[in-house]
Amino acid sequence: MAEARAEGVMPNDWSGGALPYRVGHRKLGMWLFIMSDSLTFGALLVTYSYARVASVNWPTPFPFRPSIIFSTAMTFVLLSSSLTMVFAVSASKRQKRATARKWIAATMVLGLTFIVLHLMEWNHLIGEGLAPFELPEEWAKAFPGASPLFGSAFFGITGLHMFHVFTGVCYLGVIAARIKKLNDDVEVAGLYWHFVDLVWMFVFPLIYLLSVDYSGVLAK
Amino acid sequence: MVDAKQREVVILNMVLLALAALSLGVAVWDVFSDTFRAGTDDLFLVLVCLMLALLFATPPLLWARANGLLKNPFAEEAVAEGGVEMEVVHEAHGGSDRQNIYVWGALLGLTIFEVFLAYMKVPLTLMVIILMGASIIKAALIVAYFMHLKFERLSLILTIVPTLVVLLCLFAILFPDSFRLQKMRPSEPMQSVEQKQEG
Repeated sequence: MAEARAEGVMPNDWSGGALPYRVGHRKLGMWLFIMSDSLTFGALLVTYSYARVASVNWPTPFPFRPSIIFSTAMTFVLLSSSLTMVFAVSASKRQKRATARKWIAATMVLGLTFIVLHLMEWNHLIGEGLAPFELPEEWAKAFPGASPLFGSAFFGITGLHMFHVFTGVCYLGVIAARIKKLNDDVEVAGLYWHFVDLVWMFVFPLIYLLSVDYSGVLAK
Repeated sequence: MVDAKQREVVILNMVLLALAALSLGVAVWDVFSDTFRAGTDDLFLVLVCLMLALLFATPPLLWARANGLLKNPFAEEAVAEGGVEMEVVHEAHGGSDRQNIYVWGALLGLTIFEVFLAYMKVPLTLMVIILMGASIIKAALIVAYFMHLKFERLSLILTIVPTLVVLLCLFAILFPDSFRLQKMRPSEPMQSVEQKQEG
């Protein structure tokens, strides 16, 4: 590097012997995973939008209570869990392991709260008769010709997201348990957790807010 | 030796700039040509050309920036030489707890705005655009501050962000096809057509 500068050539990170990104291999690996995973969710959300637009009628069945209240609360819980994760990362950077562990535990509790709220919401919808390729009778009457793909899109996308949250809670549990041995792993786990939060920022408006029954068709 | 190397770098950068200009030219030509219909084909061509232009233009622009030919007008006065001091500057800026709480507040505020918007009688297309806009802002806030990307090296940012944007746009290219599919549907359900034929 010094030679290159002395020769007047641009210092080149890519000529070998240097870390071009100035991040460790774990962090870089997590970023690459996040890129590939965002393509998975991107593909699912584009497919959902495609199916929705190409359908004759797409049901918009979610009432304010309980669906929208639940999903908004879930959004707040997930955003707050991201904040607690940020605090965990900053505590671990300051070498305060006990504090970091507490914040990770808070993140896990919020993550579990998200899962419980989401399962309650699922339970409610399944109780109404929603299945992957079947709409409840009431919905089919209220939205004539409605696409039965609603169920598969809903359960597929929110299910995959919920699975990510669950995996994240397990991941954080392992990190919190081994926090004495590891160093930058809290930050890497934080990247994963924020990514899960980020995905929900697109799932929530596309799946929930664009399916609001604001005209009250089902309530009548 | 040094001169030869420098000349080589300059020539390579010029070639890349020319290729970038060519790609940009093809994109512009497509938009203004008579055959432009804003369909999937045009979207694909324009997007790929713009992507190539960006790809070709990045090394010369970075080179120009490194050699002081281009200056960031928003950069602060104390531009450090080399990476070490830069990181110190960044560390001072990055990730204070108060800043993160502000970001969290902004994210909650945007969520409330989105929920409020969902109950407004806004045309669907406009609503989708505003909702997606708000979501992209939220995603950017999360990536920049919570995931700390704003405080990473430019090389990492340039590897991650444009790649993802381009790939997601390439997915989205298929989306307008759904409008065509809807128009292709028979005006009456297939069952009744079959019944008529049988009758």
